[in-house]
Amino acid sequence: MRLTARESLVPVLRTLPWRALAAGGGLGLLLAGLLRWATGEFGGWPALTLLRTAALAYALTLTFVLDDPARHTVSTVPTRRALRTGLRLVLVTPATALWWMAVVLLVPSSLRPPVADVTLEAAAACAVALAAGALATRLTDEPRPGPSVAAAYLLTAVLTPLLPHRWALFVWPADKGWEAAHERWAWVLVGALVALALCMREPIRRRRAPIGRRPGTFAPSGGTPSGGV
Amino acid sequence: MTPTVSASGLSLRYGGTRALDDVSLRLSPGVTGLLGPNGAGKTTLLRVLATSVPADSGAFTVLGHDPGTPAGRQEARRRLGYLPQTPGFHPDFTAFEFVDYVAILKEMTDRAVRHREVRAVLDGVDLSDVRGKRVKKLSGGMRQRVALAAALIGDPGFLVLDEPTVGLDPEQRMRFRELIAQAGEGRTVLLSTHQTEDVAMLCHRVLVMAGGRILFDGTPAELTARAAGRVWSSTERDPGAKAGWRTGTGSFRNVGSPPAGAELLEPTLEDGYLLTLDDAEVPA
Repeated sequence: MRLTARESLVPVLRTLPWRALAAGGGLGLLLAGLLRWATGEFGGWPALTLLRTAALAYALTLTFVLDDPARHTVSTVPTRRALRTGLRLVLVTPATALWWMAVVLLVPSSLRPPVADVTLEAAAACAVALAAGALATRLTDEPRPGPSVAAAYLLTAVLTPLLPHRWALFVWPADKGWEAAHERWAWVLVGALVALALCMREPIRRRRAPIGRRPGTFAPSGGTPSGGV
Repeated sequence: MTPTVSASGLSLRYGGTRALDDVSLRLSPGVTGLLGPNGAGKTTLLRVLATSVPADSGAFTVLGHDPGTPAGRQEARRRLGYLPQTPGFHPDFTAFEFVDYVAILKEMTDRAVRHREVRAVLDGVDLSDVRGKRVKKLSGGMRQRVALAAALIGDPGFLVLDEPTVGLDPEQRMRFRELIAQAGEGRTVLLSTHQTEDVAMLCHRVLVMAGGRILFDGTPAELTARAAGRVWSSTERDPGAKAGWRTGTGSFRNVGSPPAGAELLEPTLEDGYLLTLDDAEVPA
């Protein structure tokens, strides 16, 4: 297993959507850099808004990380899906961490919102994007669910500020609900990571197994085929 | 002889569609053809047997391993090769790199041995000249052969091929037939196809599916024999025929229940297939 993972690193690295990640990451850096190069007096809110937008732009590109055009061709290899998916995440995570560090450092320190809290928001946004990609992979047979997942993700992100105040996620540092909102962000992060971990595993049984099926029979969950019936 | 694949009572539904309905079969070495109209359940059966999609109920084994458990599924996967209906590739990989990638995923970790085998399977499918070419630059027939090479890597005992000759020109199809025939030597091949000629030329056994069920299981000769005495020639299309068409000679070839005194013709596998579907009241 370890040998397979080591040998897979380079080919898996090449299968990642680096162009999309670079585009999302570049946009994020550009947004964060605006404050450094812009002139005039700013309060804290533009910095927070731009950081959130940067995180969202990058998270959108993460919905493509689990796209695999060769999905059907490699669907029956003995290397488990969890390992194949895990490798992709392992390769993307350090690049994402470095990118976020650069984004935060680009914002002048005088304007920077609480870094730990904003980092939590960004981590949760990225984890939700990856979990959504993993869920789409688990529930559908589509080799490239990324575009549909990205659209759904964007819609969700646009609708999230409309949540009632007691569930609000996007609040301002001066708001007394800031801490409570970040508790919710922490739950979002944990939930997304759990969902991601669950979706990475290839099911051995279908979700709606008939009652009374004898144990040990082959009846797992799979997607609806996109080809023939 | 112990069967390579043994399945009983496989059923699977997609929403309201019964894709597999209590399918039982045994497969032994050689090429077995799987015929059926669109929506018959061929792809679903292949995907279930290739462990790509789980069934709702039923059980099966591949070379003695039960894919109903994680360990059994992994063991089964170590012994099977699968060419899906629409194989996908990483387009920037070369043919060699792609097959090598699949070989890694098939747990071939010794690089020297793996590269030797990748070269051998690419030679086997006649792609040695283009192995350094990117997949996106290859023709459709060549890509199909890359997918076959990926299925063959690791010398699987059970090979599942889902309509491998679709979209190929006649010359490429002939070449593919040769490759499938070679692949069938000493291993079990399950070949889904719409081409009755492929089955007639390659298979020692044929299954006909419709509505998620197996309607016929026998040799190509037995399927052909089903049409014996039910194919005839006439100068006009016989209105009583199940199917009839004008041939190159100008006469009509009719399939169905011939009238008394009709000039009977030698049936083909396709006639047997059409009549099997018709007898089961399945539109071909």
